Amino acid sequence: MKPPGEQDHYEALDVSPSATREEIERAYHLAKATYADDSLAGYSVFQEGELPLLRERLEHAYRTLSDQDARRAYDEEINRPVAHLRGEPVEDFPPLPAVEPPRPLDIAPTLLPPPLAFHTELDEEEISEEEEGEFDGARLARVRERRGIELDEVAGVTKVNPSYLLFIEQERFDDLPAAVYVRGFVKCYARCLGLDPDRVARSYMRRYEERSSKRKRGLFSRRG
Amino acid sequence: MSLGPGGTTVGGGRFGVEPGRTRRPGFGRSEGPQLIPVGGGKGGVGKTFVAANLAATLARGGYRVVAVDVDLEGANLHTALGVRRPRRSLADYVAEREEDIPKLLEETSIENLQLVAATRPNLGSPQPGHARRIEFVRALRQLDADFVLLDLAAGTDRSVMDYFMVCDDGIVVLTPEPTSVENAYAFMRAAFYRRLRLAMLSDEVRALVALAMDERNERGIRTPLDLLREVEHIDPGEGVRFSRVMRAFRPRLVVNGARSAEDIRLGFSVCSVCRRYFAIEAEYMGYLNHTDDARRSLRALRPLVDAHPRSDAAVYFGRIARKLLEPRTPAVGGERSA
Repeated sequence: MKPPGEQDHYEALDVSPSATREEIERAYHLAKATYADDSLAGYSVFQEGELPLLRERLEHAYRTLSDQDARRAYDEEINRPVAHLRGEPVEDFPPLPAVEPPRPLDIAPTLLPPPLAFHTELDEEEISEEEEGEFDGARLARVRERRGIELDEVAGVTKVNPSYLLFIEQERFDDLPAAVYVRGFVKCYARCLGLDPDRVARSYMRRYEERSSKRKRGLFSRRG
Repeated sequence: MSLGPGGTTVGGGRFGVEPGRTRRPGFGRSEGPQLIPVGGGKGGVGKTFVAANLAATLARGGYRVVAVDVDLEGANLHTALGVRRPRRSLADYVAEREEDIPKLLEETSIENLQLVAATRPNLGSPQPGHARRIEFVRALRQLDADFVLLDLAAGTDRSVMDYFMVCDDGIVVLTPEPTSVENAYAFMRAAFYRRLRLAMLSDEVRALVALAMDERNERGIRTPLDLLREVEHIDPGEGVRFSRVMRAFRPRLVVNGARSAEDIRLGFSVCSVCRRYFAIEAEYMGYLNHTDDARRSLRALRPLVDAHPRSDAAVYFGRIARKLLEPRTPAVGGERSA
């Protein structure tokens, strides 16, 4: 390995120059744990005084690469093609009709799903590429939190309104627009998390349809 | 939520293999079994536990498996597999009482799983020398089986390392404890340098590799990359061979006794450190949860995956087995068959 001083930001984070946003996030969190003072994985490896330097190097690399503009400038500086972002803006369905301005994110933090505890589903996300089972709002939130990504960051990449993203996570179907839009949002969101967009959308929309048909039935029965 | 691939029990056949049907893995050497050593440096990290249960998992999946205990000093793979008193053992081979390896095979209670035990009726009987070990490994390659798992002794002695070098990608077991992590690194480094030294042809380069094995060497060679630069300087041809061996060596990690998400992540961190500090491309195979079932099944003289096929641990073993079955991108070379 090159000494930390000679590494470029990508090497410092141990990612490829074409790494996506979420790969960078993941690499950063792994490296942060690896170079912590009480790191088990670093036991017997690092020399005295080496860790603070490594951490400083890591933070610097992360600050640059996690900021789109800073990263683009850096890539130009080191003559690399501009990295391709995996989360693309919504494009393959009709433009949204005018909607009321988004409500502020006034949901109490306790309403957010708890951080993921030691659980079997952890490993299917961590170790195997398998994406089995149902994707509900809570699972999307968990995956997002595991990757250490904030909703606003997802919104920045997907160009989907953060309130909608939150409603998707909380399955507040009444507050979401028509199914065709929700499907598009969910796909963008899934892609941004590195999940299979089609599979996630299929699973999520099944829940959506199920609940909205119930909702409609309720409406009719109240009227009748 | 699903338990993941291993958790979806399809007719009892985990990792997508129908039990009872003998199938050969669709990869690797077309002839002979795949040899998989299970090591890890430190004692008590669960090498025998992993070897026994992985062997049982593969056998339950329909593969023909031979589990071999090469730990003559601390033989107990037979016990983990429920064979109380093996009638024959590796010791008979070492003492040249038996030359025919297939005759050393013991049946276990699990279909498709056979054992070569290492019990020694006479504690004064000799240890196999280097030449005898190589002969033994050669004979193992002739066995009519799909997989041969080798349960290694603790430590990084030459006698242990020889067995770890039967392939490029042996399994290294570690637990989430500093002592185990320290020994796992030492183990991988020892294996790595030993391979390198054996692959080098010139005496000068070999001497240099031997020198670099000492962490406090006076030349200041700290990582294999430093060493590579020195080797290239001495002899470019050796440099090519060196980097080929370097790339080919890809140990596979199993974290045993995981109790938290942090413990699970340890495998990723260790791989990262290996890559960056030792230029070793390790692969994280998976982890096994800390469970009392392990001790209970040992007391019952049955491998855990056989006694508790629906336990979490069995699911995790299924996952590791599945990874073993996945084709790997072919090693660039540098394999030196013992």
